Amino acid sequence: MKHLTPANTRAKAMDEALAADPAGPAEGSAEEVLAMNALVGCTTSFDPGWEIDAFGGVANLCQPMEADLYGCADPCWWPAQVPDTMTTYPNWTENAPASEADWRQLQSVFPRLKG
Amino acid sequence: MSRIAPALWTTCAALALALPAHAMEPQDILDRVCTTCHAPRADGSLPRIDDGRRTPEGWDMTLVRMMRNHGVRMTGEERATMVRHLADTRGLSVAETEGWRYILEQEPVAVDEAPNQDMAEMCARCHSFARVAVQRRTREDWAHMIHFHLGQFPTLEYQALARDRDWWGIAMGDVLDFLAENYGYGERVASLAADLSGAWTVAGRMPGRGDYAGTMHVMAEGTDYEVHLDLGFADGSHAHFDGRGLVYGAGEWRATLSDGETEIRQVMALGADGALSGRWFDAESDVIGARMLAAREDGTPRILGVSPGHLRLGEAAEITLTGVGLSGAPVLPEGVSAELVSESATQVVLRVTAAAEAAVGPVTLGLGDLAAPLVLYDRLDRIAVVPEVTISRVGGNDGPIAKVPAQFEVVGYLNGPDGAPGTEDDILVGHFPADWSTEDFDEVAAAMEDARFAGVIDGAGRFTPGDAGPNPERPMTTNNAGNLWVVARLEQAGEVLEGRAQLFATVQRFVDPPIR
Repeated sequence: MKHLTPANTRAKAMDEALAADPAGPAEGSAEEVLAMNALVGCTTSFDPGWEIDAFGGVANLCQPMEADLYGCADPCWWPAQVPDTMTTYPNWTENAPASEADWRQLQSVFPRLKG
Repeated sequence: MSRIAPALWTTCAALALALPAHAMEPQDILDRVCTTCHAPRADGSLPRIDDGRRTPEGWDMTLVRMMRNHGVRMTGEERATMVRHLADTRGLSVAETEGWRYILEQEPVAVDEAPNQDMAEMCARCHSFARVAVQRRTREDWAHMIHFHLGQFPTLEYQALARDRDWWGIAMGDVLDFLAENYGYGERVASLAADLSGAWTVAGRMPGRGDYAGTMHVMAEGTDYEVHLDLGFADGSHAHFDGRGLVYGAGEWRATLSDGETEIRQVMALGADGALSGRWFDAESDVIGARMLAAREDGTPRILGVSPGHLRLGEAAEITLTGVGLSGAPVLPEGVSAELVSESATQVVLRVTAAAEAAVGPVTLGLGDLAAPLVLYDRLDRIAVVPEVTISRVGGNDGPIAKVPAQFEVVGYLNGPDGAPGTEDDILVGHFPADWSTEDFDEVAAAMEDARFAGVIDGAGRFTPGDAGPNPERPMTTNNAGNLWVVARLEQAGEVLEGRAQLFATVQRFVDPPIR
């Protein structure tokens, strides 16, 4: 665990539990710390992560994000963050054939309700 | 199922809304348009539509999905009308949303916590768990929802760790059981009959700007309300917003107001005590906003805000009590004296002095029968930055998605009776101004020069992230993302107190619904 920086209160709790319980989760407290919470609006799929990478940073995200963006959109890999072109938003990329050059054409997809 | 069926549904729905929808009442739209696909059951109820209850934002997301994926055509006005009708007739009680309102309020200082590992892994890996918790559905409808997820987002099997476990068995077993048991359909909720017209006193604190108090005038106009909001901030600045508001269902207050430059959105709930509580925020940048508590001036006397809520020993300060029905003499704690500066039913200003020898800690400042919290302190033992971990998102740079800033604040603490920092008896004194800076979080961030590229923080603790898009100045043209320490320093009688928070300055999101 020394290579990981806890990114939220639950992760800190896990660190503390492991420090207090070096024999491991079978002995008790760490088992009770579940990976249950997250920063609101961030995905907790860390392979490789959309907002935050698996190592509690951003350096191991796919970057620039635009270079591999369609590798996320085509298989709906982050469906709550990136429009999936597989089923839900098939035309999202039609004005941006090369995402790294055309990223300014990629819109936010939810139409805001006025009033 | 025949492959042609979905195509037919889509066609039917599109045709159905070719009807003169402009003349249709919401119930007509349900009966004549929605039933094209949602054919009534023998008892007249509509499948799916009558099997769930949601917040206004939840219904709006459902309608947008119908438009996006099933070809339903609606004008903005028709969409708003339907959201209102569905939220009025198939909404939640305010109590049913308690504990999860942060997701409706777009509250940036919130941690989303699923109730158990199954729900965290199955639901909250992509979106908040709160998004689940502000819905009610029949067991059958929750099952449909799970099936829908697999059909719409087929690769969620990987997210659900399908290679390592029988995820579908878990989804249709323990997860479905949990949803049906904890978020089952329940009972329909009557919509609010009361008229909220009147003058409301409001109070709150806007991170980065400070305490505020003011008045919100609400006047019924048709089925909505005309709203005028006047705010006075502790720093002497003022704001005035006008616009319209409405109540959805049992007590979901939503208003859109403007000061001529900035549009703000209010998301508040009418509590059992008759008060409105929630948050308002910049409609274009929801991180920028403030919590708000409002009580009607003819309501039960109460104190809504105390500003400032802390006083240093040996010093005097004007303390403003904001509330409704304020009356009576100040009731002062030991070691505290006060002079009355001004008084009205909604605001009492006291010049309060704390004796140098008074005891530090929380005390009660009374006014007649009412009481407000005040903290006396001498020296802060430590400061902390809140939120302790958060994100910002790159944006702008001529792209369509705005930057998402992050707003930090400093809170000061006393160690409390045990003299140890970070324990349960620590005393929160209040919010304090500080000097702000950012630093690279670790060696990796330093190597990438994150602090140089990821954005800047101003004197009010607001971090503005860098431009969107690949940055040719960075290695591999990486984005202006960064892993940063946000550092606050506060000088106190010759010593410097320091607090830190972690900021993930990260990339934009392209799917940004009202419930994330």
